[in-house]
Amino acid sequence: MEKKRTLKDSILTVVLGILSLAWIYPIFMILFNSLKKETSISTGTAFQIPNSGSFAGLENYINALTSKGFLSAFWYSLVITISSVVLILICCSMCAWFITRVKSWYSKALYYMFVFSMVVPFQMLMFTLSSTADRLHLSSPYTICIIYLGFGAGLAVFMFCGFMKSIPLEIEEAAMIDGCTPLQTFFRVVLPILKPTLISVGILETMWLWNDYLLPYLVLDRTKGYMTIPILIQYFRGSFGKVEMGPMMASIMMNIIPIIIVYLLCQKHIIKGVAAGAVKG
Amino acid sequence: MANVSLQHIKKVYPNSETKKKKKGEPEKKSNLQITEEGVLAVQDFNLEISDREFIVLVGPSGCGKSTTLRMVAGLEDISGGDLLIDGKRMNDVEPKDRDIAMVFQSYALYPHMTVRENMEFPLKLRKMPKDEIDRRVNQAAETLGITEYMDRKPKALSGGQRQRVAIGRAIVREPKVLLMDEPLSNLDAKLRNQMRAEILKLRQRINSTFIYVTHDQTEAMTLGDRIVIMKDGVIQQIGTPQEVFDHPANLFVAGFIGVPQMNFFDAELVKKDGKYAVELGGVSVAISDEKQANLEKNGVQPQAITLGVRPEHIALLGDGAQMLHGTVDVSEMMGSAIHLHVTSQGKDVIIIVQTMDLRGPNQVSITSGQDIAFTFGGNVVHLFDRETGKNLEA
Repeated sequence: MEKKRTLKDSILTVVLGILSLAWIYPIFMILFNSLKKETSISTGTAFQIPNSGSFAGLENYINALTSKGFLSAFWYSLVITISSVVLILICCSMCAWFITRVKSWYSKALYYMFVFSMVVPFQMLMFTLSSTADRLHLSSPYTICIIYLGFGAGLAVFMFCGFMKSIPLEIEEAAMIDGCTPLQTFFRVVLPILKPTLISVGILETMWLWNDYLLPYLVLDRTKGYMTIPILIQYFRGSFGKVEMGPMMASIMMNIIPIIIVYLLCQKHIIKGVAAGAVKG
Repeated sequence: MANVSLQHIKKVYPNSETKKKKKGEPEKKSNLQITEEGVLAVQDFNLEISDREFIVLVGPSGCGKSTTLRMVAGLEDISGGDLLIDGKRMNDVEPKDRDIAMVFQSYALYPHMTVRENMEFPLKLRKMPKDEIDRRVNQAAETLGITEYMDRKPKALSGGQRQRVAIGRAIVREPKVLLMDEPLSNLDAKLRNQMRAEILKLRQRINSTFIYVTHDQTEAMTLGDRIVIMKDGVIQQIGTPQEVFDHPANLFVAGFIGVPQMNFFDAELVKKDGKYAVELGGVSVAISDEKQANLEKNGVQPQAITLGVRPEHIALLGDGAQMLHGTVDVSEMMGSAIHLHVTSQGKDVIIIVQTMDLRGPNQVSITSGQDIAFTFGGNVVHLFDRETGKNLEA
């Protein structure tokens, strides 16, 4: 029995190790190429580690930061991500609280609508959405969070509902008797208990929002210079097939780094949150 | 400090709110009345609670005791009747404005707050000055012996400590009415006894009116000034612990109050020479004068009755001719007493024998399968109508 288990563990370690390498390899490739001279990045040399001849130092990074308005794109990405995540967390946790605590046909219907929204592909809605967003003046980085609230709500409500069910109702009743209004009950009692789930949902939504390309590309008014980093990266692909590979790779790296830092800082809370939501305590 | 008055209180759960039965789930036994309105969880509940009184609502699961308490707390809507606290109608008043506090069975402490923060929370919500908050919290902590744990989170406390914190959070507010919903049910037997004594001590120190819910009749008997015994949403009897023990209003109360429970026999109430007597298994038991008078006053006719006798009122030694016979099934040694389970008259009868009575010059040993004879006096019997279950003396 013990031997079988060890063998199984070894096989799993090897398979997962290979998978990890396959996942991390493209990131390393981007890192290496971002440090090479423009002329050294070609189909044949893309997989080579930079050497004394091809090493460009931080030249590509400086180029990326200065040539196409990286800092402004970074700012817009930051505004969109933070405003959308905050809006999703507050609105969806409140909504899940309502769905979990109010037992009626419409709260059930609402829940299933949110779950169903997760299976509708974005491509089905994108053209009508971009025209609606334009009409409603949601095409700026400061208002696009309304659209993201709609798209992020499905997963967030689903996760919040799962955890909310495990909070004993008596705690909220005790808060009511202690003198809380419904809003105070939510913000001073329910929300702090939800902290692990808030962090989990927050990280998942942040990763999606930060890296999203299609929605901001369709909705944001680029005539006013609004663009996020994923859109900006595309601008390194010039006309006549010319691609500025060095700055592009550097931009991708600079786009990845913040999200990796956020993930590493909050990683332990993700695991805690998922486990806390799964087990009824 | 408050008088609480519950007048014709009724709770109806509309039929649509009742949970659908899941497949394979056993049918729950409930005699709750179902009307067109819905399920009647509490019916015509009338109770006047005096200032600083300790009232215990007791009954089996699903009898409506917790629902009644929750209606007083404002956590459940009142379907009918009036709830008055100090003469003011409270039916539509928010829980926070009723000046009540509640201790829950599951403690319901805020897990993200320390013990001190938990206790300060209701006072902070009332925007009380900081020094007053500190004074009250420290005083409650000292009363309950939790000063050492003030900076711990609830998860780092034992069950007994958590329950103390929950009580502390309730008493810092100095509420008019303190509600307790089975607060000791989650504790082990030893801790429960200890906490029961603590609640009795606490009661002497604070000026609140207590309403306490339990399914444990021992808790009810030891804590309550008066006990309200409920079944299927209806009050069965209200009285002091001694009253309900000595004069149970009906078969349910007689069976519910007292451990082990009262023995019941099918018997005949007869009248010989103008005097009532009970005939059981060929044995005639003369009834005491006090009971004779009560039966006469109620104009009770000779009839088939259910006779109730408490296990501790049955004696093994007596007049041989006037004794009932039975076979011992099992005997449980409890230390100071032995509980004998005896089959007699086709019924399981429990007899409590003091171990001291079995020692000495007339030393007796009792073993399983042994035939024994027993008797009881006419002053300790309880006579119930076999049809309605009502006490014929009441």
